Amino acid sequence: MKVENERLGRSGAGFAIAASITILSSTALAWAKDAYKPLNSFMNVLAWHNWITHGLVDVILFSGLGLIFSRNNWAERITPNRLITFLVAAVVVAGVGLFVWYAAF
Amino acid sequence: MVVTSSDVILLAHSTFGVLGILSALWVFVETLNAREENAGRIRKAAFIAALCMVVTWILGGYWYVHFYPLDRALILKGPWPFAHTLFMETKEHLFFISLILSLYLPIAASDKLYANPNARKMVLCVAMLIALSGLAIEGSGAIINHGAKVALLYRITGAGR
Repeated sequence: MKVENERLGRSGAGFAIAASITILSSTALAWAKDAYKPLNSFMNVLAWHNWITHGLVDVILFSGLGLIFSRNNWAERITPNRLITFLVAAVVVAGVGLFVWYAAF
Repeated sequence: MVVTSSDVILLAHSTFGVLGILSALWVFVETLNAREENAGRIRKAAFIAALCMVVTWILGGYWYVHFYPLDRALILKGPWPFAHTLFMETKEHLFFISLILSLYLPIAASDKLYANPNARKMVLCVAMLIALSGLAIEGSGAIINHGAKVALLYRITGAGR
């Protein structure tokens, strides 16, 4: 098998960073709206229910950041192992962070 | 027999969730054996995984907003209030992680996986993360369901079993 390219493509790398950032910020938003009720109420007003607003913010953030990062070539230059590590770490931190937050508060 | 729209939507959302998990596992297995011949199939499976998760999001969201408040009130008064305060709260936000990963999967799978070991590694990791987070979400759903069940039993019998 011929190895054509060891790096990830521009979209693959750009959207990997976008996914990692979105996943971390989604958990941060969950903490923030749980700790600060006016934010929860504001999100209820924006799209009928805070959970709907939360999901839309995540999808818009992922798409927007992904498109921005895909147009620059700096994401492509990051080694794939770092991108994978960042994504896996983001998922573990965000997932465990959610569980611990709701268990503690 | 009475089957309400609430029942249909509730069961459909978890069914599409399971289909999303199975599609992610399909991507995982195909990627382990990535060749030029199955590249199209991997992309198709990744797209199906993303589609199933989006349908789950829409159905689950509709049910959560329209029908869940009754269940929540019941669970909170029952012997398993943590089914809502811990498991539902975690589940509803953990789902966004699976959703974002599922939306990323077709993008990651669009690389030439048969020629690029690192792209293959990325797809394997994303597919596995979708499957694991999806299973955690399905498990939480079972706990929430049991929380509602024990709350009803508690009400009917007037005490715990």
